[in-house]
Amino acid sequence: MDIQFELLDLLLVSPVLVLFLASIIPLTMKVLSGNRETNTFSTFACGLGGVIAATFLTAANYGIQKTAFQEALRFDGLSFWIQMTVLLVAGATLIFSKESSATNNNQFSEFVFLLLNSAIGMMVVVWANDLMTLFIGIELMSLCLYILIALSSEERLSKEAAFKYFVLGSFASAIMLYGVSFIYGTVNATTIPEITKLAPDLMETNRLFLMGVILTMLGLFFKVSIFPFHAWTPDVYQGAATPLTAFMSTGVKAVSLAFILRFFTMDILLSEHSTPLMNAVEWLAALTILVGNIAAIMQTNFKRMLAYSSVAHSGYVLIGLLAAGVGGEALLGASGVVFYVISYAIMTLGAFGVIGLFETNEDSMIDIDDLKGLAQRSPWVAACISLFMLSLAGIPPTVGFFGKFFIFSAAIKQGFVWLAIWGVIGSVISVYFYLRPIVLMYMYDEEGATVISSKVLTQMAITIAALLILALGIFSEPLYKAVLANMGSLFL
Amino acid sequence: MLLSLIIFLPIFYGLIIWLLPEKATRVTAMTLSGFHFVFSLLILIKFDSATPALQLVEQVPWVPTFGISYFVGVDGISLWLVLLTTFLTPVTILGSWTAIENKVKGFHVAMFALEATMIGTFLAMDAVLFYVFFEASLIPMYFMIGIWGGPRKIYATVKFFIYTMFGSLFMLMALIALMFMTRDMLGGQMSASLLDFYKLDIPFVGGDFLNTQTLLFFAFALAFAIKVPMVPFHTWLPDAHVEAPTPGSVILAGVMLKMGTYGFMRFAMPLFPEAVQYWSWLFMFLAVFGIIYGALVAMVQPDIKKLVAYSSVSHMGYVILGLFAMNSYGMSGGLYQMLNHGISTGALFLMVGMVYEKTHSREISKYGGLAVVAPWYAILFLIVTMSSIAVPMTNGFIGEFLILLGGFQASYAFGVFAVSGVVLGAAYMLWMVKRVFFGAEGELVTKYKSHGLDLGLREMCVMAPLILLIFWMGIFPNHFLKFTEASVQHLLNNKNNYELTIKQDVPEKTFFAKAKSDRSVATEEN
Repeated sequence: MDIQFELLDLLLVSPVLVLFLASIIPLTMKVLSGNRETNTFSTFACGLGGVIAATFLTAANYGIQKTAFQEALRFDGLSFWIQMTVLLVAGATLIFSKESSATNNNQFSEFVFLLLNSAIGMMVVVWANDLMTLFIGIELMSLCLYILIALSSEERLSKEAAFKYFVLGSFASAIMLYGVSFIYGTVNATTIPEITKLAPDLMETNRLFLMGVILTMLGLFFKVSIFPFHAWTPDVYQGAATPLTAFMSTGVKAVSLAFILRFFTMDILLSEHSTPLMNAVEWLAALTILVGNIAAIMQTNFKRMLAYSSVAHSGYVLIGLLAAGVGGEALLGASGVVFYVISYAIMTLGAFGVIGLFETNEDSMIDIDDLKGLAQRSPWVAACISLFMLSLAGIPPTVGFFGKFFIFSAAIKQGFVWLAIWGVIGSVISVYFYLRPIVLMYMYDEEGATVISSKVLTQMAITIAALLILALGIFSEPLYKAVLANMGSLFL
Repeated sequence: MLLSLIIFLPIFYGLIIWLLPEKATRVTAMTLSGFHFVFSLLILIKFDSATPALQLVEQVPWVPTFGISYFVGVDGISLWLVLLTTFLTPVTILGSWTAIENKVKGFHVAMFALEATMIGTFLAMDAVLFYVFFEASLIPMYFMIGIWGGPRKIYATVKFFIYTMFGSLFMLMALIALMFMTRDMLGGQMSASLLDFYKLDIPFVGGDFLNTQTLLFFAFALAFAIKVPMVPFHTWLPDAHVEAPTPGSVILAGVMLKMGTYGFMRFAMPLFPEAVQYWSWLFMFLAVFGIIYGALVAMVQPDIKKLVAYSSVSHMGYVILGLFAMNSYGMSGGLYQMLNHGISTGALFLMVGMVYEKTHSREISKYGGLAVVAPWYAILFLIVTMSSIAVPMTNGFIGEFLILLGGFQASYAFGVFAVSGVVLGAAYMLWMVKRVFFGAEGELVTKYKSHGLDLGLREMCVMAPLILLIFWMGIFPNHFLKFTEASVQHLLNNKNNYELTIKQDVPEKTFFAKAKSDRSVATEEN
């Protein structure tokens, strides 16, 4: 087969090429120097340099609407914003992992290599214009993650987490691939534009196509831990090294949600016969919010609490995704989702970054109770944590409030009023556990975990995240408008 | 610019306090908040009481995609509430001079953040901006109760936060729905401006609960009813008050509760006139029920602070009764009573705090005969009590009298029951005064009388402006009512199609422009 592509295609995927280059250099150096981790700082610098270069290359492609490589990849507003989010997440994760004892060890070069390749997989997912490309992206992303989790030198939890994630993730991938095969069997194509053309008709006439859609969706729902496919989340998030948890809970989620958005805009929810499917998804959203929030209340481990809260946040986004999938003013829903994903990434990175600040070695487990009296010991970190928690709870004037505001307004406009009300009730429940760290930090005077002051970069990253949350909370318009301006092409 | 300064200067003060050393905190905070009160009096000077229109307006787009703007303005409804806030802040800071012993800096920062958000709530004329301030004001209060509060502070503060947030999120839903309605009305452009909301014609069907206007009305009403609080949504209030430090209680009772009643006047009544009319019986019933219930529960409280907290429930019932009577007496009275309650209950909490600081107990049964050892304290306390139970010559009388007039005009039945609340109010307050100040010397009084239980100079200074206002507002109510009259009348006369206009300020001629026009006149004459 003769494969042809233009130079422009290469330019469009240049961020990925740069990332790959940056990931391979430290590894090569390590091999050449006799498999010794000589200088972790240069490894870190190389990785971060790659991320920054990729960010600039991405920014250079701002506003472009194109497909590349025989329509296998698609570059549009959605891919631009999520790509930026992925790069932000990758950069932050590099910083966290540089200063985390669980990751910054004699395998740091491998760690950076896998991390950046996972990020490459994520970008392929957001670019995917073809279900096969999507599958390759998801697998690249996930395989790197499985190894990354297991890479930690901590004894038990990380291995268990990696194995659990691997088995369940493979299972979900297989189900998704099964669904894709059904879709291919009925549409005779795997590219999204082709499927979009035929979807409304096929939803009415062809049960196999419906089956394919459902199975593909389930595979994707697993990745973003929608109830009842969320059970792996707390264990994996807790077992993985904290920087990785930050990476998974934001990066994997952002790209998978973005792809679900693309999937929903294939007009699969538009026909009359998709009402039952839509109702089912509505219920999944409602249950995800409920289960995530209720379970989070009962957690004592900080990471597990955030894991369940991330389940709940997937539920909120699913409301926005539904609003984007039913025609009408779908644009509101789509831009709401993208805004939410970006804001969620910032606050979650901050929250997990903070946990990293307390970890003295790879076996550290930070309980919420360890935060007791933190406001006395490190007022600035305590203030940042409070801000992250308030933002996650959606209280103004933080960016989390506007994220929820945009999603709920899209839901109300698109007729999902009951889901909006449900989401609101969920937010009220969530306030209870988001306030708990604040209560412990400010309203108790006992001794607890202390911030490790040598983690300067992490502290800086957290400060930036906190300032971004406030700034975007007060001036959300520029970002929202920019997102809105670029999302139209999704519905062409 | 003036209103923005009044809203955001406190944030700046907070920053100053944060940067200065802790030793200087109290004096700086006192100076700045005192200055801010004087500064806020500028509104009064610039305010034109003849027009119901919105004045001193500032409008800047904020999230234009959703039609949200930074839109502030003042009219007769919000004017006094803003001044009440700026007035109570320095009084409270002075009153908490010795009550707050740890984390003094943080406390004053929270105080200023609270002041800013509360003023913002009263001045915001954009629904989302209002919501943002309304919610944001919870955060400093949450910290205030949680950090400086009593033994059950955490339970109280979390309950307070979640309870109030629960209501306001429904309001947020309703706001969003209204914003989409304005888009249909304005042809494509969404707007969160209240002035556009007022122009909406929201479909209403009487007798049926599931119609747009009724649902939206109840979404708003829930948020405000929790904030006021109206029975049966009042259970957070006694907890919050009892556990809050004295300054927290003063601000909570003095200003924060008014956000609820203010919300009714600003949003619920003008936006949903038919629903308000139709359901006013329910709110009047709950109000009267609250008046009597609050009074009866207050009567049996062993704790002075809890007694005052329940008296708040009762007094806020009057405000709601007055507002929902939907006539001129009731509404002016309701608005006036908001201020009265802010002053008299604020003063009561301050005075309870003063004696608590010395004896560390608020149990009524442990006091007795306090009047002998603390005569000044007794006299001032009695004056405040008189104001609270609406004795003529005090401010409380004017408010409650107007409300009762309005209540009788609206419905005899409710009026009669509301009057019984006045009697009950007098009963529980006077009974408390009797048990605390007179009779045999209580154990606490014996124990602490050598410590000097009477008021010191600072405490006198705290009480002086409050006492002054109690009489001023009681004897010359028109000095205050004349500012609100136009707005209240406008709201009542146009209750079914309420609209608010922006007062076009005639630009004052600058010196040069004036000279120029003089010259041109002169040339014409030549």
